[in-house]
Amino acid sequence: MANNSKGARALRKYLAKPEFSTLLILVAMLILAAFLQRNFFDAKPLNRTLNAFTPLILLAMGQAVVIISGGLDLSAGTALSLLTCVMTSVMHKANPETGLYAILAAFAVAIVIGVVNGIGMGYLRIPSVIATFATSYIWLGAALFLRPTPGGESVAWFKVFYDVKVYANAPPALKAFGAAVPSALTLVLVGCIFWFVLSRTRTGRYIYAVGSNNTSAYESGINTARIQLWACVINSVFIFLAALFFVGQNQSGDARMGDPLTLRAIAAAVVGGVALAGGRGSVFFALIGAVILSLVNKIIFFANIPYAYQTLVSGVIVIIAIASSQGYTLYSRKSMARRGKLA
Amino acid sequence: MKVLEASGIRKCFGGVVALANGNFSCQAGRITGLLGANGSGKSTLSKIIAGVYRADAGEIRFLDRAVQYRNPNEARKAGIAMVFQNLSLVPDLRVWQNIVLGAETRRGPFLDDRQARRVSQEIVDQLLPGLDIHKLACELNPGEMQIVEIAKAISADPRLLILDEPTAALEKAEVKSLFRFMRSLAERGVAINFTSHRLWEVMEICDEVTIFRNGANVGSIDFAVDGRDPEKIVSCITGVAQKASAAKPARPPSPEIALKVEGLSYGDALKDISFELRKGEILGIGGLAGQGQHELLLALAGCYPGVDCLAEADGKRVRLNRPANAIRNSILLVPGDRELEGLFMKHSVFNNMIFPKLGLARQPVFTPRKQYWAECEAAIDLLSIKAHSLDMPVRALSGGNQQKIVVGRWLSFDAKVLLLADPAKGVDIGAKRDLYRYIADQVREKRVSVILYASDIEELVECCDRLLVMYEGQVIATLEGDDINEETIISTSMKVG
Repeated sequence: MANNSKGARALRKYLAKPEFSTLLILVAMLILAAFLQRNFFDAKPLNRTLNAFTPLILLAMGQAVVIISGGLDLSAGTALSLLTCVMTSVMHKANPETGLYAILAAFAVAIVIGVVNGIGMGYLRIPSVIATFATSYIWLGAALFLRPTPGGESVAWFKVFYDVKVYANAPPALKAFGAAVPSALTLVLVGCIFWFVLSRTRTGRYIYAVGSNNTSAYESGINTARIQLWACVINSVFIFLAALFFVGQNQSGDARMGDPLTLRAIAAAVVGGVALAGGRGSVFFALIGAVILSLVNKIIFFANIPYAYQTLVSGVIVIIAIASSQGYTLYSRKSMARRGKLA
Repeated sequence: MKVLEASGIRKCFGGVVALANGNFSCQAGRITGLLGANGSGKSTLSKIIAGVYRADAGEIRFLDRAVQYRNPNEARKAGIAMVFQNLSLVPDLRVWQNIVLGAETRRGPFLDDRQARRVSQEIVDQLLPGLDIHKLACELNPGEMQIVEIAKAISADPRLLILDEPTAALEKAEVKSLFRFMRSLAERGVAINFTSHRLWEVMEICDEVTIFRNGANVGSIDFAVDGRDPEKIVSCITGVAQKASAAKPARPPSPEIALKVEGLSYGDALKDISFELRKGEILGIGGLAGQGQHELLLALAGCYPGVDCLAEADGKRVRLNRPANAIRNSILLVPGDRELEGLFMKHSVFNNMIFPKLGLARQPVFTPRKQYWAECEAAIDLLSIKAHSLDMPVRALSGGNQQKIVVGRWLSFDAKVLLLADPAKGVDIGAKRDLYRYIADQVREKRVSVILYASDIEELVECCDRLLVMYEGQVIATLEGDDINEETIISTSMKVG
């Protein structure tokens, strides 16, 4: 057979990967979105779309790190809410300096959140679902204590985390940069670079090892508890970035805003091909999963589906996306098996 | 030069004393064997030396210093590397990533992958040339996994290498090449500690052996001084003087056919296999490792839905497309891999023993617990399984005892055809003999038919009435009577002569 050359086999092997089916779904979604919203790829609507997607993208990437390490973080959403409340409680509108304090305070709280979750999962060996389910109420309680109702103050320059153009006093260099690269994109890129650098360290490799087989990793001399703690702290950094964006956008804090994002972020990671069993998947594909999941809502909105059915339809689309991605992978594996390459 | 000396080591797990008084030493450049029945404490001792467990009492001196390692990494850094009995590769990492795992070289804060790949390639080339180091660990076959495991231990440049049953998953040619490599390591001054249940391997490679029984070392044999006498070793292991091999009990061939298979094919793994299995017969499947033996058993158990064949059980047509169909016709598979397929590790011995009964059609609505409990106790006695209670989790038993449960529970069952996939994997010599004697008794008394696949040729020789030899998914020969001996099997399976 002509298509049995080495190159063709390598290509088939790549096509059989779950990553490829994720990309296929992304392209299909983009085409559909562009078809329904004719100006989808124009600069302004695209920027708006990106802004709407950013918090989920950041949370999904952080969640992916935890899932790959073999855990699951059910407290990510309330942790995000808590961080927004911390920021808006520290800041005073009149005093621009307080913005800096808010960033430091929120970052410190983010690290504490990661460490507490990590100690629960790694050192105390509480199943991650239970540990983070419990801590999610602690974060929620703390957030409600700081801010019983949405509100709070924010310094004006925090707007640069949302959109440089809305902040009139920005220095010219920043303005030029902001005009070229939207803030939301910058935050996502910071997250991507952060993970890219980390994935080339021992910690990055060990996160996969621990998630893939905890016992084996331990027997190889890896401090598995510490690696799980690191995964939680890395997740916290992503949550922190999302909090910056949210406060920049709304200029206020809200103890309830993050809740619905938790499960959506987990779903996004799964749509992106991250295995819930741990050890498999890519943080960058969790990003793509988040884009796919967000596009679903967008498509439903532009398809003029009655409001009452929107949630229902979005659920169905998510199931179809996951099923078709796994079905595709299964199909390619089988066709490879038929050609005599039993997996 | 003495590299390691352990004295008076004691270790308990819960209430069970795994090791009462372990004494062991090994010297640079020598290969020391560690022998003993399942649960005799040799694995425990190895793991204490390698830092997996901490001893409750006793002293370990390594290179003339008293040491107490808190984890395997500390031991590895100090120069003690261990290859574990249960494979410890990380399935989703590549071969080279696995080899350097835990000891990656770095450039600044980043991993030096080029160096890692070079080092891994060098080691793999010595052990198993032709293995692609870019494969994921989960894509390897058991033999390759074992080799990678050994490569990983060697990459740390150890002074003491502990090999705990490294050959269980290997075929004979691979074992030979591993032995050559072990010899060359020993010549470079590495002390090697080797555990295996196959006596011939120990006889061939070791310079001396230390023998364990019931949690204590009961003897030490230096081959150079005392000579290589297998019977002496066996009697030392079991504590009773025994003949090396029991004569095969003669079973008259039965004319009745229990299972007839014609033209069984599945993908490239199985090609046009036909055979007849008579009642009360043990039919062996032999050949080199990975020639489709395991797949054949799975296909007969109905695990491959697309399988293509004509099968008759007791003269009735059977479709082998679902495990439930096979079970309904009393064709039962005993999986060999206890970790993955055979046992519910976290459940109790009792639950694991009665589990096959629960699938029976005539199972009463409420489980007759008392009756089953008594049956289980009898079965455990019969198989001499060391469990202090039926309520303890299977995970807490030693590997060999777990295997006995896997096999034993199916044998207490009304089966017509039993498919045994490597039932004695990781089981010691004494237990192996018990196990096969039990199987033979069942075959004689209940007229059960057995299809047996074993990676150890000795087992096939001792048990089988007839033997199919497989090669690349085909049956290339059927051996009977006196033809079932080691030389004939090996020469046929390698297609020589």
